Order: sequence, then C-alpha cells, then structure tokens
Amino acid sequence: MNENEISNVQTFVPFAVKKGFSINSILLLLFITTPLFVNGQSEKLSETITEVAEELAADDSDPEAVSTFIERLQELAENPVKINFSIEEEISRLFFLSDFQVKALAEYVHNSGQIVSVYELANIPGFDRETAEMIIPFITLENKLVNNSDSARWRNSMISNLSLKSGNDDTSYLGSAWEILTKYKFTSGGFSGGFTMEKDPGEKLISGDPPLPDFLSAHLAFSGSGLIRRIIVGDYSARFGQGTNINTGIRRGISLTTPGYMSASDEIKPYTSTEENKFFRGVAAQFSAKNLELSMFFSKNYSDATIASSSGSENNYIENFYLAGIHNTPSLLNKKDAVSNLAYGISLSYNIDNLKVGLVWSENRLSLPVKITGNDPVKIYDFTGDKNCLYTIYYNSLVKKILLFGELTVDDNNKHAFVQGISFRPSDRLTINFLFRNYNPGYTTFYGQGPGTGSKTTNENGVLENFTFEAARHLFISGGFDIQHSPWLKYRCSAPSWGVRQEIKVRFLPSEKFSVDASYNYRLSIADNAENQGIPDQEKLITRSFKASAHYSVQNNLTLGTRVDFKIVNPSGSTGMILFQEISYSFRKIPVTLWARYCLFNTDDWDSRIYTYENDLLYSYSIPALYGEGSRSYIMAKWKIRDFAELRIKYGITTKVTNGKSGENADEIKMQFRVWF
Amino acid sequence: MSSLLKISVSVLFIFFSLTASGGDPYRPSAGAGEAGTGYVCIMKNGFWSSFHNQATLAYNNSFSFGFNYQNRFNISELGTRSLGLIIPAGKASLGAVYSHFGYTDFKRDMTGLACGMKLSNKISAGLQVDYFSERTSGEYDNIQSLTCEAGLLITPSENTRIGIHIFNPVPNSLRKTFLPMSVRVGAGTYLNKSLFAGVEAEMSSGSRLIVRTGFEYEAAKKFWLRGGFSTDNNSFSFGLGWLVKIVQMDIGFVTHERLGVTSSVSLIFKIR
Repeated sequence: MNENEISNVQTFVPFAVKKGFSINSILLLLFITTPLFVNGQSEKLSETITEVAEELAADDSDPEAVSTFIERLQELAENPVKINFSIEEEISRLFFLSDFQVKALAEYVHNSGQIVSVYELANIPGFDRETAEMIIPFITLENKLVNNSDSARWRNSMISNLSLKSGNDDTSYLGSAWEILTKYKFTSGGFSGGFTMEKDPGEKLISGDPPLPDFLSAHLAFSGSGLIRRIIVGDYSARFGQGTNINTGIRRGISLTTPGYMSASDEIKPYTSTEENKFFRGVAAQFSAKNLELSMFFSKNYSDATIASSSGSENNYIENFYLAGIHNTPSLLNKKDAVSNLAYGISLSYNIDNLKVGLVWSENRLSLPVKITGNDPVKIYDFTGDKNCLYTIYYNSLVKKILLFGELTVDDNNKHAFVQGISFRPSDRLTINFLFRNYNPGYTTFYGQGPGTGSKTTNENGVLENFTFEAARHLFISGGFDIQHSPWLKYRCSAPSWGVRQEIKVRFLPSEKFSVDASYNYRLSIADNAENQGIPDQEKLITRSFKASAHYSVQNNLTLGTRVDFKIVNPSGSTGMILFQEISYSFRKIPVTLWARYCLFNTDDWDSRIYTYENDLLYSYSIPALYGEGSRSYIMAKWKIRDFAELRIKYGITTKVTNGKSGENADEIKMQFRVWF
Repeated sequence: MSSLLKISVSVLFIFFSLTASGGDPYRPSAGAGEAGTGYVCIMKNGFWSSFHNQATLAYNNSFSFGFNYQNRFNISELGTRSLGLIIPAGKASLGAVYSHFGYTDFKRDMTGLACGMKLSNKISAGLQVDYFSERTSGEYDNIQSLTCEAGLLITPSENTRIGIHIFNPVPNSLRKTFLPMSVRVGAGTYLNKSLFAGVEAEMSSGSRLIVRTGFEYEAAKKFWLRGGFSTDNNSFSFGLGWLVKIVQMDIGFVTHERLGVTSSVSLIFKIR
C-alpha cells in the first residue's frame, strides 16, 4: 500500500489546497497577536487519553477504532457521569476505569458521602492524581436527583458539523467535498431518543431509494430502575463479558499503560456514532431481577459488501465486506447495504456475592453466503457460509484485592476464543495486571471484539502485562509488555509471525498547574520483505519512539503545552521528530475560548511518521500523521452563546518543505453549531 | 570565477554551520554571552537575548545599545556584524536590531523592530517585525522578505523561567521567497544566586530537532563564566563576560565538530 492509498483509507492528513489568503492572514494575525491580549481555559484531555487516541490512529488494521474511541469520549463529555449517585452502572460508563476503580469510587461515595471537589478523587483508594485528572472532563459532581416535574421535562440538543478539507474536492466524486454531520437528541424522564445523519466528503447528501442521507441512524430508548432496565428500538450497541462474542464498542487491551482497559461491564446502549457497519438495528431489552440480569436483542442491519456471482451461475455470494463506510464513487455506492445481516441473541448473568457468571448466545444470518475466491493461503481459515452461531460463558470475581475474569466463546466450527485475566492491587499505590488470550485461526465473530492488538478477534495468542505505580507523591510510573503470536498467516505476512509491544511512562506532577510526561515505546512486528521477489521472506520491523511533553497552566485561563517526539524505525533506520507549542486561552469578559498550536516536523519517510492529537469540534477529531518536512498549525475558537448555543470554528494548515523550499500547503476549515433547549 | 567560488563556499558554510549560528541561517546569532551558553537564552534576561526572545525585552529597563561581531570559523567572509538598541518606554520596551552577514559578493542583512511588555506578574510577551535582504553579485536574484517573530516569557516562580519563541509563523504561500519557520522552547532556573542553568529545544522547518543546555556562573562580582552543549554537530561552547560600570564585555566560542571554532565578541553600553 503506498502513501496515498494509506491516506485514503484511514489517515487525516490534509492535502494540497490553494485557497484565498484571507483566512491565512486571519490565522497569522490571530496567532501572532493573541498572546498579547488574551487569557484562557482549556478543555484539556488527559495526556493518557490523547496518547491512546494517537496509538489507535496509528493502527492501520483498525481504522474505525479511533473514531469509536473519540466518539465515546465526546458522548461522556456531553453527558458526564454522575459519580455522586454511587451507582456502579453509572460510574462504569467511564470505560477507561478498571473494575477496581469503579467499585472503589462507588463504595467511597456510599461510605463517605458525596464528593464535593474533584481534588478529592485522588484520595480514593485505587485512584491517584493521574487517574483523577483523566476522568475530570467526563464527570459531574451534581448531587441532586431531579424531581419528577424536572425529569419529565423535554430536553433537546442538536449539533451540526461542517468540514472541508483540501484534497476531498475530486470532481469524479458523486457529491460535494463537504463533510456534514447532524445529531439530535432528546430526553424526557426515562425516555430518550435521537437521530444521527452523516455525509462523508464526496458522498451525495441524499441517495438511494427511498432517498435518504448516506448514513442515517435513529433510536428510541427507555431506561428504568425496576425489572425493566432498558428497552431500545432502533439502533443500539451492545457488549457482554470480555466482548469475544458481542462487543460493538471499544476493544480492550489497547493501551499498555492504562490498566483500565482490562475489564468491562455488560451494556446495551443507544447507538449515536457514525461508524456505519458495526452496530445493531432492531430491538434490545435488558431486565434485572435481584441477582439475575437478562438481555435480549434482535437486529436486522445491512452491511456494505462486494457481491459477485459464480461463472455459469446466477447465485450471488459475498466476496468481501467493505468496512470503510465511504460511498463517494459509483462502484463504492454499489457496495452500500449490499447484504442483510440478521443477528439475535440472549445474555444471562447471575451475581453471587463477589462472583458474576454469564452466558451469551448469539446467531448471525447473512442474506448471501460468503465464499473464498482465489488460492491465497492467508484466507484458508476465513469464514464461509451464511450462518454463524456463538456460545459464551464468562465470569468475573473480586476477592479482596484480586480481580479475576475470563471468557470462553465457541463457534459452530468448534473454533474458540479464550480470555483469562487477573488484576491485583498489592497496595493502593501499585496495580498489576495480566491478560492471556487465545483466538483460534478461523474463529469468527461479526459483532465481537476481544482484547488484543489486532482489530480481528482471530489468529492470535498473546500475553499482556502491565502495572501502574505511584512511586512518590508527585511521581507516577507505568509500564507494559505485550507479546503476541499469530499461528497462521495474516495480511502482509506470509508465515506465522509474532510481535512485541513495550512501553514505559513516567509522569511528574509537582503541582496542580504543571505536569511533565515522558514515555518510551518499543514495537516489533514481522512482515514480508517486499523488496525480494519470489517467495517472500520476513523481516523484523522495529519502531522505537520517545515522547516528552509538559503542560503548564499559567493562570486559570491560560494553558501552555510543549511536546517533543523522536522516532526511529529499523531496519530502514529512518527517523522522525516533531516539536510543537500549543496554547489555549479564555477571554475573561466574553465567553470565547481559543486554542492554537504550532508544530514543526521532520521525518525521513512515511514509516517514521508521527501522529499528533489535536483539539477539534465535538464529534469530530483530527490526529494528523505528520511526515516529510514542514509545519502544521491550527487555531480553533469556541463561542458560548448564553446558555443555549455554542459555535466553534477551526482552521488548520499543513505546509510541506521540499528541497529546502516551500512545497504544498494543505488546509482545512471546520464549523460547528450546537444548540440545546 | 573567484566570486562564484566564494559565494558557493559561503552558502555551503552557512548550511553546514547552523549550530554556530544558533538555528536557521537567516536570523542573526547575535550576542557573545549567548554564544557562551550555547544560545540557551530565550528564557534569560540579557541585551542580545531580547532579540532571541522579544518577551525578555520587558525586563530591560535601561537605555542601552550594543555591538557584536561573530567570526565564523575564522573566515572573514563569514563574519556577522550586529547592532542593537533598547529603549524603555513605560511598561514596555522597544528594540531595534540590525545585522549584516557576508562580504562584497554575498550579503545578507536583517533589520528588526521589536516591542516587549509585561502582561502580568508572571507573563511577558514580545513581537518583532523583520526585514531580510539577500544580495548576490552577478546574475543572481536579490531577495527581500518581510516576516515577524513573537515570544512569551513565563516566570512560574522567582527562580524559574520558561521561554517560548516562534519565528516566521507565516505560511510561505504568502511570499515569493522561502523563509524557514522555527520554534524554540526552553526553561531555566537559578540553582543558587550565582548559577543559572537552562535547557532549550529548537526545530526549524526542514531541519532536525536541536536540544541545547547551558549555564552561566557568576564566579566573581560582575564576572561570568559560561558553558553549553548542543546536540547539533555535538557542539560545545564556552565564554566569559565582565561588566565594568556601564560597559559589558563578552566573548564566546562555539565549536563545530568538523568546521572548527566560531568566536564572538560583544560590547554593551547601559546608559541609565
């Protein structure tokens, strides 16, 4: 895959543009003059979270993972978790916390009373300042249960995004270059509902029969506290156990140094994301009686696929699934909703003191069978047919300071996925985790994602270990090691292979206003050596990266951030580095916040590219892959219009330097209007 | 032919000697004191530092002017002569700097007008407008450019300082001639009353990241010893300074692992 192809598939690197200079001039003027007269407050995400986002963006195998991750975070930011209610189910919406931390937080509120300041969080057993900082943007200390008349009141929110990036204005595309997203949501008592409409760049605004937006999703939901916990009609996502059977959300085990990604609680929730293939459409219900919990779901959704027919036969079959969700050319539009996927299942779980045991059964039926074409040995274990059935048993148990969890899922072909983990906390300052997984080659799940390094829960054995340690009052050390083995061939690797991930991270938080982070990453993978002809041999690809950053809140309304990255890739020996300076400010007298960043980068090639997370609009994100030589800068403004609306505008530009001269410029502009009433 | 050779050699040397110049070759690397600390200076008060980070201008409360001569690798054609002037003006200070590099056949001039002011007890900011001119004899085109640079200086505590400086944050699509952009970020602290140490990172477009460390030690009253190290070409630097009444004299030396030593001398007059 060459650079352009990779960019088209999953990166967010802006492309060349030639625009009027007026916007550039405004950017320049603002950039230069803002430090002289403004002050500000950032909506600052924890460094840990932005690192996870960057890691996901760098994962070629799962281009949608970062989108799902960011959307989940933004959902949390928009609807923060009410931690003072001491309800584990509510707190577990903070999906990056471990079960330990969820239970500890609920118990703390239950035993010690409500939390009155976010600074109290760091004193909760199992928490530290780093964790507290991580969850602050996503929680509220609201402690009043709304009364009946308040809760029954209709609350509406609507958000609309418009984005234009250079490079998306290819005239061969079916629609305009604008990316458009609209979300509407209402709540009234236990009822909620909403819809999401999206058009990707180059797609038609309205298409199909009946004419509808390219992506349209809607739901109605009821949440209760009695026997009926939740009923959803429309689009929803689900996760049970460790997710090897059903998990349409975020997979676990992504980050080596964030142990919270180790475990999860069951959930069925309305689907409000824009990933176009991995969700359910139909009805789901969750019931609870004493220690018993029952979930049932039924879904008929349509998936994008390439349809072919056998020679001499009119029987169609699925050649492959198309997961990118882009339909900007006639051929891609033909793939849209080409096959229906009927899915249904039941999850039953039972709690006995500190032990929870669950069973899950699910079945998928496709409207057309999947067939393997060609003789590629990589595909030997791929799914064929039109029906897949999965049976799961899972458990988790908390005994004093030890959390054990495990899951076994078996499919129709007796292929299995097995997960076993242990998490223990020898002291309040130290947490250690182990996770073993074994996914057979040929194991198939359409809606599942177990913990692991790859996007597919198949053809992988591995062990992950990590720890977090509060070494001193202001010093936090975390590290992790993951080794995985693929017993069969995989994409771009014509032999069984293995890989290693290692990471060590140090955080120094001498005061509330100042933090320093440093981390070292090591990645080893095996891939075909593309340079040799004939039967490919394999080579080790080793990436080492060092990252250091500092954040300083000069005043309550002014924050500065600096980051330096260095990366080296072997065997090519190519290196990459960046240095950026960012600043955010809130005006004191008007409700306007500004963010700006100026970044210089220099990498030898695409292999040594560096990803950098940027502040962006809600339900949009930007993690550009910086490569070559040049600069990347952006400025974003947020204007809160009283208590009912908000306007955001972002402008970004990437300038490349070629042969010591200014090369191409690529810019983008994004706007967002948000209203709630 | 001789001129052509000299021009080629000059240009070649400029690009080989970025360490000695303290970054990209367009900005003057003025200040022998700054050279002594390896150009770790964007967070430190000083006459010439004010033109490395204009935010530090705000801390120059006396009318002063200075001269600087830098002799790069002992080659007279690669010499840089600089003049600077600082005028306090209430809460702000104004500055002007002129720099001339080269010789008859290849000249590079820079003129800058700067302003720095304190925004609060902890923060000061500065801005400088620069005009660059590059003249080459013969049929080569002369080049002129207008750009700007800006800096912030933050003092979180009495002894600690953080400096940020951005040069040429202008999309090059706005101009005909290319000028490199750069970011410098650094922090320094007074370890005791006599010893200041700092670290700085710099990156210019089209160049690699450079990390520098440096120190300044007041060995005797109004007499300073300086040293520094830069990762670019593993360059070491050292120097000394002496203040006699209203005149400060500094000398500094910067090594280059292949090209030898660059020496600088400067005189600063602080009138009142």
